[in-house]
Amino acid sequence: MEEKGSAKIISVRIDGELVSAHEGDTVLAAARANGKYIPTLCYLKGLSAVGACRLCVVELAGTDRLLPACTTPVQEGMSIKTASTRLLLYRRMAVELLLAERNHICSSCVSNGQCELQSMAQLLGVTHVRYDYNNPRLAVDMSHPRFVLDHNRCILCTRCVRVCAELEGANVWEVSSRGIYSRIVSDLKDEWGQAESCSACGKCVLACPTGALVEKGFAVHEMVKDSGRISRLAVRRAGRSR
Amino acid sequence: MPTAAPEVAQRELEAHERLLIDQAISRYGKRPGALLGILETVQSANTHKYLSMEALRYIAGETGIPPSRIYSAVTFYALFNLEPQGEHVVCVCRGTACHTRGSRDLLEKLCLDLGLNERESCENCEADKMALTTGDRRFTVRTVACFGQCALAPVVEVDHHILSHVNERTLQREVKMLLQGRK
Repeated sequence: MEEKGSAKIISVRIDGELVSAHEGDTVLAAARANGKYIPTLCYLKGLSAVGACRLCVVELAGTDRLLPACTTPVQEGMSIKTASTRLLLYRRMAVELLLAERNHICSSCVSNGQCELQSMAQLLGVTHVRYDYNNPRLAVDMSHPRFVLDHNRCILCTRCVRVCAELEGANVWEVSSRGIYSRIVSDLKDEWGQAESCSACGKCVLACPTGALVEKGFAVHEMVKDSGRISRLAVRRAGRSR
Repeated sequence: MPTAAPEVAQRELEAHERLLIDQAISRYGKRPGALLGILETVQSANTHKYLSMEALRYIAGETGIPPSRIYSAVTFYALFNLEPQGEHVVCVCRGTACHTRGSRDLLEKLCLDLGLNERESCENCEADKMALTTGDRRFTVRTVACFGQCALAPVVEVDHHILSHVNERTLQREVKMLLQGRK
């Protein structure tokens, strides 16, 4: 994605503005490079994109389907809309469904005020959730000496899965089961503290957008994470390997 | 069977089981996609038709596939069991057609007859498909989303034979036959 020299330059229209982009770039990368903001949640620069959260959906002229910007490559002559009432409603619904699925109680969350899901809800103007809360009874895994896994806050963005597989290479995390029963698991559903493959590097904690993976010893509001460190590390590594 | 379960879970893998897994791994190789074949072979060779945690750990160790990925695959597919299965498997279809023809009542009656608590399993279940086994491991009751035999609804599968237009009485008779057949 970062290779600049060889890639062909193509032109696309983003929000009516003609911009140039490198062939093979995603719509998201092209938009960001040109100062256009598209909300994202499961995307983290430096990790592979999965298009799971559907917050980065954009409108493409010529098709009724909304496309995820993080996994759609740009093509010559594309005309993309990054903001519209339809997109706002769609993104709002995606956030509401995420909030309804688990127990996202901000007032008792260590990530309150530092949470990407919370910020996204504020940004998109989610004032209430139209759907019934699912209220699942979920466990909190405190077995790790340094970290905590709280399934109640997990949105299954799989950033931890990807960062562990792609940057740390430990493959501790995966998603088990499916549908509403999906959970993040370490190794063979071992307690995190007993997971032999975990190197306790803490990358998953940095990558987690919510309070699902946090460090121990923080009270409400105190868990500050810098997911930018993951992106910077990924970029430096990519630079070195080339 | 609160006493039997931990025993099963904690035992070491026996030599013949290890041999079997080794054979399965060498048959399917280490190419991507081999995992499903390995898991299927290992499960069908097991007496209780399930994959024990020790077996999964051993497969992970031998193939180099991360344990988390193996667990993810095993829990994704309804085909794989993590619990020992009963001798006879009764599978009640919970698809729309069967539901409208009363498959919920069938399931409840079946669970009642076999002394299984369907509600309890639903509260703390972690999969979208139910699989309950009686304490003596003679019966496993499962549900499935659809057999594709909707014209014959309600459908119940008993030991891989599909019974059509099932009512409580025919199901009861079938279960009794299985019980007597074993004696």
